Amino acid sequence: MLRGYLFTVLGIAIGVAGLVSLGAMSERIVRFIDGGDRFVLGQISVAGRGMGMGAGFTAGGLLPASAVAAIAAVPGVAGVQPQVMLPLNPSTSQFMTLTQELVLGFDLSVPMPNRHYRSLPVRAGRFLREGDRRVAVLGAAFAASRGLGVGSRLTLEGESYEVVGVLDRMLTAPDRFVMVPIADARAQWVAKDALLRTVLASGAMPLTASDLNTGAAVGWRDGEDPDAVALRIRERVPGVNVQLPSELSQLLRSSTAFFSALLAGIGVLAFVIGGLSLANTVAAAVFERIRDFGVKRALGATDLQLGREVLAEALAVTLVGGLAGIALALSLGSFIDAFVAGGNQQLFHFSPRLLGGALAFSVLLGTAAAAYATARVVSVSPAEAIRRAS
Amino acid sequence: MLRAVGLVKSYRAPSGAPIRVLGGVDLTVKAGEIVVVTGPSGSGKSTLLNVLGLLEAGDGGDVWYQDDRVTALGRTARSRARGGYVGFLFQSFLLLPSLTALENVLLAARYVGRSGPATRQRALDLLAEVGVADRRDHFPPQLSGGEQQRVAFCRAVLNDPPLLLADEPTGSLDDANGAVILAALRGRARAGAAVVVVSHRPEAAVGATTVYRLRDGALESSWPHE
Ligand SMILES: Nc1ncnc2c1ncn2[C@@H]1O[C@H](COP(=O)(O)OP(=O)(O)OP(=O)(O)O)[C@@H](O)[C@H]1O
Ligand SMILES: [Mg+2]
Repeated sequence: MLRGYLFTVLGIAIGVAGLVSLGAMSERIVRFIDGGDRFVLGQISVAGRGMGMGAGFTAGGLLPASAVAAIAAVPGVAGVQPQVMLPLNPSTSQFMTLTQELVLGFDLSVPMPNRHYRSLPVRAGRFLREGDRRVAVLGAAFAASRGLGVGSRLTLEGESYEVVGVLDRMLTAPDRFVMVPIADARAQWVAKDALLRTVLASGAMPLTASDLNTGAAVGWRDGEDPDAVALRIRERVPGVNVQLPSELSQLLRSSTAFFSALLAGIGVLAFVIGGLSLANTVAAAVFERIRDFGVKRALGATDLQLGREVLAEALAVTLVGGLAGIALALSLGSFIDAFVAGGNQQLFHFSPRLLGGALAFSVLLGTAAAAYATARVVSVSPAEAIRRAS
Repeated sequence: MLRAVGLVKSYRAPSGAPIRVLGGVDLTVKAGEIVVVTGPSGSGKSTLLNVLGLLEAGDGGDVWYQDDRVTALGRTARSRARGGYVGFLFQSFLLLPSLTALENVLLAARYVGRSGPATRQRALDLLAEVGVADRRDHFPPQLSGGEQQRVAFCRAVLNDPPLLLADEPTGSLDDANGAVILAALRGRARAGAAVVVVSHRPEAAVGATTVYRLRDGALESSWPHE
């Protein structure tokens, strides 16, 4: 049935491949933004406010144990997990870029308070456990960029860490994280931050290890309004920076609004251009066969019979072309991801909804174009159809 | 079998002026008869055949197949009338290039709702009759002109239509191949079909019941010839 349709199938495949690969770039960023949004909406993020030490690269300051205890006592709070977040490379410390690499220390004696990330998906090995020391769990992109896997060793601030786990690719921030027990993160912080060492050595502030937190993730009890709980913490605990989940989400949304609009535009363009190319290819294939239509009508084919025939062919051709286009886009995408940016960037995300949508769109548009072209072709007499092509 | 009364057809020249091609043509062809139509190039022979075969609508006049006034039929019924009554043969064969010889022949059965092993066997028998059975899996570009026209003949007669319309069926063939096709058409007439052949070739008139000449939009009898 597809005999003689090679170039039509190829034409459709190219249109669909363009559509799918542009769409996949758009999906990639959408996933990133959505992942961040889910994260900030799943917890109340609290950071220390400057403790009068100007704080080296932890611009937010220190969240001491007393503040952690005070937050835990606020009504509605369900759990407070102290954290230490350090930029892996301090030279980029002031900018939370989309691709920043971070060391994140968790206090594992407290369950993860984030409602949307109760645990992080581990692809290989295991996650951190309470009592671990000098072990690390790596985000997928970080592990890939360094060629690390479970059992590899990694040196951070002069200390050797064993990689015990690698996370699934999440297409959002944790992909570039190195996760360690909080005690190890604290040691790294002290090693990195000269100012903090000075403060500790001078004894000017009575600090113990448990005071060395850059922030905390705070959960809320079931039925509580997270924004209300956040406001309560702000009221009752002085000297801390409390982010309202909804405000943070808003901030994230507005700071990525231009990006989102740009990508929506690219997506629409991809569908319009890919769709036009596909419709044109299918319609041209039908017009090209105008003589065949004339002959078939001379043999007694009714409009309905011809219409059914064309639709079945268009369906098959667009389905095969669409699948070939998807395969083309997938191989193109993985090729680019593998060789561009040293293989540690993922530029495409081929989501099922994108692939399914692109295929459905191609088939619908292809059959519509075929139906339109057939209506045009049978509007001339069979004699005219036969004459026109010769 | 075929009766046409007062067929009129004009085309518009690019300038917009009407060109009268058929000026009231009457024609009757009975079952078993062969009618040959000759005439200079541009005299309207193809136009006449197309109007008779419902491939093109005339501007006036009527056509009957047996007792059906087919010019009065709607679009779909006219398609069915073509499939049920008429077999066509063209100078340029008009085989579908994407189908094999056998598939081209079987195409005639598809739209009249026939299929199955009996139809297939009949197609194979017909191909054997005209000597191209061994070419059944060839595609048209892999066939000589003579072979293509034999395949086209098999397609035209697969459904055993009571009317055969042939427009210069030997125009692209050498004498030997032309003779095969003309003989095959005579064979159909002997078997009871009404046959109309448009041709310049004097050989076409051999065995014809009547020979007409189309001139100035009308048929004039040119039989007995000279
Ligand atoms: N679609 C058309 N539009 C305008 N004029 C047409 C059209 N088709 C045919 N004609 C004109 O009608 C006349 C008859 O054409 P037709 O093809 O019937 O001639 P013919 O007798 O078959 O000629 P030939 O022997 O060369 O095949 C010609 O003058 C041609 O120019
Ligand atoms: Mg002609």
